[in-house]
Amino acid sequence: MKAMLPLNRRQWLQRTACGFGALALSDILQAATNPLAAQIPGMIPKAKRVIFLFMAGGPSQMDLFDPKPFITSKHGQTIDSPLRPELTQVGTDKYLALGAMAPVRPRGQSGMMISDLMPHLSSVADDICLLRGMNADNPQHAGATLQFHTGTFAEVRPSMGAWVSYGLGTENRDLPSFVSIQPGGVREYGSAFLPAIHQGTALRVPLNDKTSPIENLQNVSPSEEVQRERIELIQKMNRRLVGDLHGEASMEGMIQNLELAFRMQTTTPGIVDISKETEATRKLYGVDGKDTDKNGRACLLARKLSEAGVRFVQVTMGGWDHHGDVRGNLPKLCAQTDQPVAALLKDLKSRGLLEDTLVLWSGEFGRTPWSQDLSGTAPIEKHGREHQPESFCSWMAGGGIKGGMTFGETDDMGYRVVSGKVHIHDLHATMLHQLGVDHTKLTRRHLGRDFRLTDVYGEVVKEIIA
Amino acid sequence: MKRQLLIATFALAGVLHGSDDDTAFFEAKVLPLLQKSCFECHSHDKKIKGGLALDSRSGWEQGGDNGPAVQPGDLEKSLLIKAVRYADADFAMPPKSKLTADEIAILEQWVKQGAPDPRVAAGGVKKRTIDIEEGRKFWAFQPVGNPTVPTVKDKAWPVDAVDRFVLAKLEEASLKPVVDADRFVWLRRVSLDLTGLPPKPDEIRAFVKDNAPDACEKVVDRLLGSRAFGERWARHWQDLTGYSDMMGTSNGVFAEHAWRYRDYLINAFNSDKPFDEFVREQIAGDLMPAKSVKDRAENITATGFLMVGDVEIVNPDKGKMEADHIDSQISKLGTVFMGMTMGCVRCHDHKFDPIGVEDYYGIAGMLRSSPSTHKIPFGVWSRLNTTDLPETPEELAIRQMQEAEHAEKIVRLKADQTRLTAEKNTLTAEITRIEKLEKAAPTDTAIGSAPIVPATAGEAKGPQSAKPADAKQDPGSDKEAITKKRDELTEKLKKLAAEIQHAEFFSSKVPKAFAMRDGEKPQDMPVYIRGNPYALGPIVPRGMVRVASWTAFPQIPEAQSGRLQLADWLADKRNPLTARVAVNRIWQKLFGEGLVRSVDYFGVRGELPSHPELLDHLASRFMQAGWSQKKLIRSLVLSRVYRMSTANDSLALKADPDNRLLWRMNRQRLDAEIIRDAMLAVSEELKTDSGGPALVMENPDNTGSLVAKGVNPPNYRHSVPRPSQEFERTVYLPVMRGGFAGPDRVRSFFDFVDPAQIAGQRPQTVVPTQALFLLNNDLLRKRAGALAKNITEKMSERDARLDDLWLRVLGRPITTEEHGDATRFLEKIEPLLKGKPTAERLAWVELCHSLLASNQFIYRI
Repeated sequence: MKAMLPLNRRQWLQRTACGFGALALSDILQAATNPLAAQIPGMIPKAKRVIFLFMAGGPSQMDLFDPKPFITSKHGQTIDSPLRPELTQVGTDKYLALGAMAPVRPRGQSGMMISDLMPHLSSVADDICLLRGMNADNPQHAGATLQFHTGTFAEVRPSMGAWVSYGLGTENRDLPSFVSIQPGGVREYGSAFLPAIHQGTALRVPLNDKTSPIENLQNVSPSEEVQRERIELIQKMNRRLVGDLHGEASMEGMIQNLELAFRMQTTTPGIVDISKETEATRKLYGVDGKDTDKNGRACLLARKLSEAGVRFVQVTMGGWDHHGDVRGNLPKLCAQTDQPVAALLKDLKSRGLLEDTLVLWSGEFGRTPWSQDLSGTAPIEKHGREHQPESFCSWMAGGGIKGGMTFGETDDMGYRVVSGKVHIHDLHATMLHQLGVDHTKLTRRHLGRDFRLTDVYGEVVKEIIA
Repeated sequence: MKRQLLIATFALAGVLHGSDDDTAFFEAKVLPLLQKSCFECHSHDKKIKGGLALDSRSGWEQGGDNGPAVQPGDLEKSLLIKAVRYADADFAMPPKSKLTADEIAILEQWVKQGAPDPRVAAGGVKKRTIDIEEGRKFWAFQPVGNPTVPTVKDKAWPVDAVDRFVLAKLEEASLKPVVDADRFVWLRRVSLDLTGLPPKPDEIRAFVKDNAPDACEKVVDRLLGSRAFGERWARHWQDLTGYSDMMGTSNGVFAEHAWRYRDYLINAFNSDKPFDEFVREQIAGDLMPAKSVKDRAENITATGFLMVGDVEIVNPDKGKMEADHIDSQISKLGTVFMGMTMGCVRCHDHKFDPIGVEDYYGIAGMLRSSPSTHKIPFGVWSRLNTTDLPETPEELAIRQMQEAEHAEKIVRLKADQTRLTAEKNTLTAEITRIEKLEKAAPTDTAIGSAPIVPATAGEAKGPQSAKPADAKQDPGSDKEAITKKRDELTEKLKKLAAEIQHAEFFSSKVPKAFAMRDGEKPQDMPVYIRGNPYALGPIVPRGMVRVASWTAFPQIPEAQSGRLQLADWLADKRNPLTARVAVNRIWQKLFGEGLVRSVDYFGVRGELPSHPELLDHLASRFMQAGWSQKKLIRSLVLSRVYRMSTANDSLALKADPDNRLLWRMNRQRLDAEIIRDAMLAVSEELKTDSGGPALVMENPDNTGSLVAKGVNPPNYRHSVPRPSQEFERTVYLPVMRGGFAGPDRVRSFFDFVDPAQIAGQRPQTVVPTQALFLLNNDLLRKRAGALAKNITEKMSERDARLDDLWLRVLGRPITTEEHGDATRFLEKIEPLLKGKPTAERLAWVELCHSLLASNQFIYRI
């Protein structure tokens, strides 16, 4: 990659503006008053945008990326529990080792270990950086999911997409700067005490080519002409009120937003309409495929939004919470996600976007090397795995992160990280760093205190930066 | 010289702690290793994580939160060695990656040698202490005064002392209040502020014609006396509690009794419960004497205040769960009543305010002595405390009747189950019988295809073999019909089983509330070092925030938690914070901004009051008038300050752009609930309600598995709302953590407070998704439809319709310009809708929709 000189804000915006998202000069000059203008002076960014693929439920890292010969050799036998006595787990009292369910083999030039269950991801192994020493603090979905998205699980704090939007602003004024496709709870895309403009816009996955992913985008008047008349009348009344009051910022904001909303009705469908994509692209993502349709559409939509200038796009793909029958269920989830996810990487790469798009794949935690059986009677082959925040696997790709690298190691059991530990705070710090933001400087004062995404923690994982 | 001296010291140290060689070993091997691998987090130049510094001998001797880091000579007792060996997952250092075996060996050798370390601490670990006496000088901790009402030049303007406080400041700045709002504006404002509903056309007509001097008083008293007042102000209070109809955030676990606390709040506001009483009941109602059964039930329910927030009941580490829950309760108490942030004090003394760890754990001890969750016997889940509420004889009689009816229903369902099961068994038997016959039948073909069987035998068998063939034919179609019927029955039985399970689960109708109660062994608790429940510090006596205390905290009687004393402390007239924080909250709801704008934070880094004397005047007046919220609200909305318009004054705008001096009224966008409620009101679809359960538990489709001993507790999805919920006030709809679907979707768009958050003031955001909502959401479309129907059916003249529409929706007469706009709009729209059967009505729907979506409607000026 050629050396980059520091850009000033205007140059940076000009250079980063692409296609649909290009900003007019007048917009740049306005940026000072635009709430979606960047809030902090940037370092040199390696990535301009983020796509976060959230595997809700907690994928089993041992079956997918981090096989343990020790566990395989003890399959079905009792192993020593490393758990603190204060921790309660259910259905794991025998601590039976549960070996990986399918072969996990070296892939690509680098020999990165990936399961046979993910043939498509295996084919792009040299583009991703596998983090095997991930670490989080909360063993339950709600808390762990909140920590992953907001850095904490105790209080209502802004989500990482909101922080990124707040820190970097938007590239496309006709689109939200942060979009979350089929998200979970509102706090996962909330803005908390940041200005609400940074809140993620929740999109549905359009399950056919006709429905819109955006709520309330469908005109409810009998025709566009009628709606236009309606808007004219609303605006006339709005302007008259503002005039009578000699100005009121929030009311003027609503006037502008009504115009934007009307524009969105005409421009956004084009951006979010995946029916216009080539057959080859749709096939690549597995659109219309038996298992892959939904996630294929979601991932393709993510690429389109990202390309159009949305700063932070998240896609949530749930169903990884395999407390029982991990052997039966994991292949299903892989079949649903492997092709769409790998397609996204391939598609971004072929469009030259992967270089400055940071893709992050992760669950909120991983799963135990020992088995779980809530029935108490199932044979070991039907057992599942319990939650495990102590160690798990995530991966990053693009955006100035080393491809083909495996970073971090767990102990023989696959429970505790022994090297290359990356806590969620570190992951956040690294993500912001790649976007050209110092995580200790991205702050917002609230109730007398300066808050950060990384709270008082977080270190950039320098080892994985290209 | 200096260097030699140092060497000499080293030598001396060597005598005590090892040989010169050992010291050399420390310098050559150990120190570089510590510098490389530990100093990043454990040195005075960087950070001192966990209280441990390794850049001096005294640093590791004193150690951090877990005690001394090194026991010279003893490998097993040295925490440093334990940590680097990675023996315990939760006590492994350095956290990023384990040291190499060689490096670990260096440290082990060093400890075995007796840990020679010649380094002397530069400054030692400095412990920051808070200065309570100095802290008391801050305005918020000073006793509430009763300042003299200032004299003003313009004697005619003020009607209340409040007005003189405000006017005096304006005059000081050479500013003047703007003109009064007209009667239409004032009436809409006061109606929305007090009840969350716009005035009805009749009310408007009556008020503008009322020339009596007490016309305004009559309106205010009517509004304060309506049920809607409590519905509006209870919701403000709910914003301070993290109220939800769920327990925690995980799995949709329903909090089926939470609504009782919501109804308690509505009643408390409507009955004007004195605020000090209101505070006491919410903290320690269960410990207070009661005048009646009803009173007792209310007192218990009131403690829901400490229960309804986001509690992570699924945390498998129960020690941590309890500590986290106590923390959220303390944060709530601190924010809501004291305007203080307390959460950070769990781990260290407050960085800005004079609140120390002892203050925090003094309160925590009371809450820990009143455990509010308990673990269920199976699995990892806990549940919130529930308490049975006492019933009046009438309530008991009604309940027993309901239970009897319910029991009858279960008997009926079970009888159905028995009957249908028997039917199903008969059918199954019949199917089995037919299948047996079928099995017998194939011998036919076997015979037919068997060449060895003589033809005669075949003929002889002919009639006989024809029979099974028939049986195969007829029962075949029979079998299909019977199987179909059997399968239908199976479906029915499955549904029935779910219904029975549901009915049995909800068979008891004993009224219950989520409530606090004292535990079996109330006691003081130790400091949790850095908030960690497994790292215990010294025991702290239970007590309250010292900087806001006027006297020593009273002795807590044996076997009591201390909550009652805490409640009394907060509700005491001498408390410098409670009344100030409370009146400021009320002020903010009426005027848009608080006198202290950071309504939840009165600390050092918060904002200073714009009118400190007025704040104290209101606080002391509030207490003197028996802590009556209604009286305070009444005098505020009848003041001249409240009567001002939101007009502009260019001079004042320049001098005071934020309107801190109150030269005009602030404009406010309506809250999410009010946008919806007001739309239902103007379309005349709003249903009156008297409270009750928000969750639609009676519909089995909304409840997940109700197995009592499941791994996960039963859960709730709000998938089938009660039909009436589309038209009820928003305060009565379920509050779900994780978002809203259905008739209350509006809350997801217009700044509703997240039900895990405590927020005295909602942000007022303007984002494009709100505009899309206003343009296209069903809520507006349906209300516009009802409104248009109502108006077009009631009146035939266009002018009359327009007059009525404006008065109804915007609370004022239509202007000439607007009349022109609307007429032109209708004339332009109607041809566009030609061909549609209800073109005229549709045009009015479009007009009504426009009005509802306009700023004129969604703002109150």
